[in-house]
Amino acid sequence: MSGVQPGLLERNHFLLRRLHSLSGVIPIGAFLINHLLANSLTPTPAAFNEEVEWIHGLPYLVFIEFGMIFLPLAFHAGYGVVIAMQAKHNVQAYGYADNYRFTLQRVSGWIAAVFIVVHLLHFRFAGLVGGTSYPDVVHDGATPYGAAYAGFQSFLPLALWMIIYAIGIVASVYHFANGMCTFCITWGITVGNRSRRAVSIAMTGLALVLLFFGFRGLYGMSSNFEAGQTDSHGLPADLAEHRGDLGHDTRPGEQG
Amino acid sequence: MPETVTVRVQRQDQRGGRPYTQEFRLPYKPRMNVISVLQDIACEPRTASGEDTTPVAWDCACLEEVCGACSMVINGKVRQACTALVDNLLKEQPVIDLRPMTKFPVIRDLVVDRSRMFEALKQVKAWIPVDTYGDVGEGPMIAPEQADSRYPKSRCMTCGCCLEVCPQVNEHSDFIGPQAIAQAVLFNEHPTGAMTAATRLEALMGPGGISDCGNSQNCVKACPKEVPLTEAIAIAGRATTWHAIKRWFTK
Repeated sequence: MSGVQPGLLERNHFLLRRLHSLSGVIPIGAFLINHLLANSLTPTPAAFNEEVEWIHGLPYLVFIEFGMIFLPLAFHAGYGVVIAMQAKHNVQAYGYADNYRFTLQRVSGWIAAVFIVVHLLHFRFAGLVGGTSYPDVVHDGATPYGAAYAGFQSFLPLALWMIIYAIGIVASVYHFANGMCTFCITWGITVGNRSRRAVSIAMTGLALVLLFFGFRGLYGMSSNFEAGQTDSHGLPADLAEHRGDLGHDTRPGEQG
Repeated sequence: MPETVTVRVQRQDQRGGRPYTQEFRLPYKPRMNVISVLQDIACEPRTASGEDTTPVAWDCACLEEVCGACSMVINGKVRQACTALVDNLLKEQPVIDLRPMTKFPVIRDLVVDRSRMFEALKQVKAWIPVDTYGDVGEGPMIAPEQADSRYPKSRCMTCGCCLEVCPQVNEHSDFIGPQAIAQAVLFNEHPTGAMTAATRLEALMGPGGISDCGNSQNCVKACPKEVPLTEAIAIAGRATTWHAIKRWFTK
């Protein structure tokens, strides 16, 4: 380093690391809580629709979406890869519980990152891969619940989606809850052993609640399928045409 | 009680040389430790298969776990050779396994170059600056509470165990390691050292500094001197954050 002008990344190293730590809590962690809470409402399509429609009614939604979710997520994931590549894991030699948590934090980060890309292509940006996302069909009278319902019938069998989502939810919730514990050390909030243990217990509780929300959402989706329900709130019959390989040029309105 | 002790040693003839393994079999003596095992090998350097060889090189000084010189990886875990008793080691596994620490360059056999830790102490200015041209009188009093808080951190013997177990200290990373962070905190908590606290914090804020800690908390568990390393890292984390905010707003 001596004699060489440090680059932008080196000069802002501390800031970048702190932003990485902070972005995992706000906004990403806050969004995760909100998202899983909304999902847990799926057993009643009306409540789910109301929640999602409220979100879609927010002003400047595109700025909220990109500024508060996609940009921080991309930064957290991208810089997280840089950090994860630095570690040399040694749980075999030093099998302390916290060391396993450290390794799992990186493993869950990789899984969550891949899952979130799949999840975004499955719903929000489904148009890019020939699927249907809610904003594309909302004008055709689709409801959020209907769009989600249709999504789980696209590309892969429902059971496989459920497994993928279960893994993704567990990885994301672990990464968030354990990340909260290490966040508290990084920022010097939990200095002593006892406070660290207390935060670990509290975050285990939060993780269990979030897992309950997430799995309740999955269960809500899959049980409605198993019941063969043609719901009154959700899926318009012609939304089926938006599954799989159909593009935007074949919207029902434009066809007839 | 066994009649012999079998020891497997990872050896290396010089810096950058290729490591190789040799096995030694020695008569068991009561209350042996790893240092006395190495002394016995040095008396009669012959491998278990009967070949004459050079004595195994190792580093030690105090023989009472206060100098930090004899750290090595014993039965897969880093610790001090002087307090590693053969009776206990044989309960872990039948053949005692000795290797040099992996996070430091090997000089020869079990001797490693720990100078990166002393360089790190220089980097964080882990001392109290008292050099002046004149007599500045007595320093400020230290409250007993402050002395109690500082004492555990002052026990650090620069042995390198915390760096050895840290997953963030390796060849892909510049991380300075827990030892220097704790020493920076030790001197920032001293009333005279506190006057130059900012320079120590600044030294911890670049690449490889405090923010490269991954919170695995292995350091605090491996430390033979029970230095509260995670606590020190949290204190330094808070102090550097405040320092960064203050610096930004006063620029």
